[in-house]
Amino acid sequence: MQGSRRPFLCSEPGQELIKRAVLEHKLDRVVVAACTPSMHEETFRRVLEETPLNPYFLRQVGIREHVSWVGQDKERNTQKAIGIIRGGIYSSLHLKPLEQKFIPVERSALILGGGIAGISASLSLSKVGIKTYLVEKSGELGGMARRLSALWPSMRRGEEVMAPLIEELISRDNVEVFLNSRVLAFDGFAGGFQARIETPEGEREIKVGGAIIAIGFTPFDPSIKGELLYGRDERIITTLEFEEGFGEGFFAKPSGRVAIIHCVGSRDEQIGRPYCSRICCINAAKTAARIKTAYPEARVEVFYMDVRAHPRGGEEFFEEVQRRGVYYTRANVAEIYPRPQGVVLRGEDTLLGEVFEREFDLVILSIGMDPPEDAEEIARIFKISLGEDGFFQEAHIKLRPFDTVRKGIYIAGSCAGPKDATDALLQGRAAATKLFSLLASGRVAVDPLKAEVQEERCSGCRLCERVCPAEAIVFDPSRGTVTVNEMACSGCGLCGSICPSSAITLRGYTDPILAEEVSGMMEGEGGV
Amino acid sequence: MGFEPKIVGFLCSYCAFKASEMAGSLRLQYPEGVKVIRVPCSSRVDPSHVLKALFEGADGVFVAGCHPGECHFIKGNYYTRRRIYALKELLRTVGLEGRVKLFWVSASEARRFVEKVTEMVEEIRKLGRNPLKGG
Repeated sequence: MQGSRRPFLCSEPGQELIKRAVLEHKLDRVVVAACTPSMHEETFRRVLEETPLNPYFLRQVGIREHVSWVGQDKERNTQKAIGIIRGGIYSSLHLKPLEQKFIPVERSALILGGGIAGISASLSLSKVGIKTYLVEKSGELGGMARRLSALWPSMRRGEEVMAPLIEELISRDNVEVFLNSRVLAFDGFAGGFQARIETPEGEREIKVGGAIIAIGFTPFDPSIKGELLYGRDERIITTLEFEEGFGEGFFAKPSGRVAIIHCVGSRDEQIGRPYCSRICCINAAKTAARIKTAYPEARVEVFYMDVRAHPRGGEEFFEEVQRRGVYYTRANVAEIYPRPQGVVLRGEDTLLGEVFEREFDLVILSIGMDPPEDAEEIARIFKISLGEDGFFQEAHIKLRPFDTVRKGIYIAGSCAGPKDATDALLQGRAAATKLFSLLASGRVAVDPLKAEVQEERCSGCRLCERVCPAEAIVFDPSRGTVTVNEMACSGCGLCGSICPSSAITLRGYTDPILAEEVSGMMEGEGGV
Repeated sequence: MGFEPKIVGFLCSYCAFKASEMAGSLRLQYPEGVKVIRVPCSSRVDPSHVLKALFEGADGVFVAGCHPGECHFIKGNYYTRRRIYALKELLRTVGLEGRVKLFWVSASEARRFVEKVTEMVEEIRKLGRNPLKGG
C-alpha cells in the first residue's frame, strides 16, 4: 500500500502524481480521500483511464463536506477521517473492473421558461442546430422584462426589446413553443431524457438530450411588511406597478412629492430574505430619473441603506440622478401612516442619527426578488436542488455556475439568484453553450453501475423481477433464471437487497463492498 | 457522560447524500461520531448491512432516503420503509430497540439532515452504548 498527501489532487500536478504512483508501484486500487465523491469522482476516473488500471478500481471517500466542514473537534475529525478512509480501502478490494458503454445523444433541448433567459437560451441552441422545445407556463413569451416600461440603461420599453427576440424565435423551424404548458415529468439521464408536457392540446412526450431551467422570479409582495401599509393605501405602490403605469395621478402636479424606498424585501433577515436583489438600487434610481424627466418640479427623495449601483455605468447613473435634484437619504424606514393629504414616512436618518417624519403624495417601494413560486415543484420534477435562499442551487459557484447536481440540466436567469435582465440574457446564452457542449459530443457514457446476475446462484424465484421499478429484469424460462436489460436498469440496487440468494447485485455497490466499508469505518469500536 | 455515540448512516445518493454534501458546503455542524455511506437508493440497503454495522460496534444506524412519493427510482423508498420496519421489530426482541432509524431528507434539506442526525445522536446518547459491545 502506498500513501501520499497532497493539496488539490484534482489539479494537473495532482493527477500526474496519481498516474505516476499507479505505474511506479504497480497499484491495483486507488483510494482518494478528498472532497465529496460527486465533485471529482469522474475526474479521478479519467485519470485512471490514462493508466493500465481499470477506471472502476477507484474509490473516492469524502473527508471535506462530510468531516472537516461539519465537525468542530480536530482530533475527532481526524479519527473520523481515518475510519472513513479505512472503509474506502477495505471496500476497494472488492471492486471489479467495469467497462463503460456509450450511446448517441438526443440532439434536442427542453427550455423551461419563456422569459429573457429562456428565450436567449432557446435562440442560441436553435441557431447551432439543436431542436428546441420551449415550455412557458403563461400565455405569452417575454417574461418579466416585457412588462417593464423602461429597461435601464437604454430606457427602451421592455416590449420593444423583447418583441424582435420573440419574433426571431418563433420564426425558426427547429423551435417548438408550448404556451400555457407545464412539465409533468422529467426522467432519464443526460443525453437521453424523456419529458412529459401538459399542453392545452393534451399531453406530449418528448425526448431531449438536456434541459435549461429559466423560470425567473416572483416579485416580492410588500404586504408581508405590514408597517409599510402596502395594499391598504393606494398611494403606496411598488416599482413594478410604477413600470406598469400606476401612481402617476398622485404626483402629476407641480408640487408632487414622491418617496422611493430601497431594499423592500431584500437584505432583511427578519422576513427571511437576507440577500441583495441586485436590481433595486438601479430600479430606484431609474424610477427617480423618470419622474424627474416627466415632472422636473417634483420633489423626489430616495431612502436607502447602501447604494450598490454595480452594473457597468450604474455608479455614473446614480451620480447623475443626484445631480438632477433627487435627494438621497440614508435611512431605516420604520413605518408609513396615512393622512388625508399625504402619507407619512417615519424612520431614522442613519447618518444624522435622528428620527424623521416626512409627508409624500406617493411612496414607491423598490421591491426585491423572491424565488419563483413553483421552484419547489420544479426542483422535485427535475430532481435538482434549491439553495438556502430558495433559488436553484448551482453545482459550484465559480467552476460550474450553470450546472445543477444533475448532469444535463442547467439553470439560467433569476431563478438561479436575483439578477437584472442583461445578466439573465447572458446566463441564458451561457447555459445554452454548456448544454450544447454536451449535445455536440455526440455520445454519452452509460454508467456501468447496473444490476448483474450470477446465473449459477439464481433460483428463478423472480422476486427481483416483481419489484424492479425500471422493469429491467426479465425471466428467461429456457434457462430458469433472470437476466438484466442494462439499458433499462436505472441502478437503484433494490433487486440486490431483495434477492434471497445474493444472485443479483448492483455493480459498485455489492454486498462485500458495503459490508467492508462498514467494517473499515467501525474497526476498533469493539464490535462482536 | 463522555459518551460520543458512533453512528453509521446509509444515504440515498439522490437526496440525503446531496443534503449531506450541502450541509458541508454550508458549514453546518453535527457530531463527529456520525459517518455516512453513499448508496444509490435507500432500497439498496439490506437489513444485513444495518446488522453488520451494529455487530461491528455502531451505537446506532440510520437510513435516509427521499420523501415518500419522491423516490428517484419511483418506489424504492417504500420497500425501504417496510424492510426497516420489519428490522426494527426484530431488533426490539434482541434488546436493540431505538438504535435504527429511517428518515426522509430531500436534496435541498441540508438543515433537516443536520437536525435529524443531531437529534438521533442525542437519543442514542440517552440510550447508552451498544450493548453488543460488552464492557
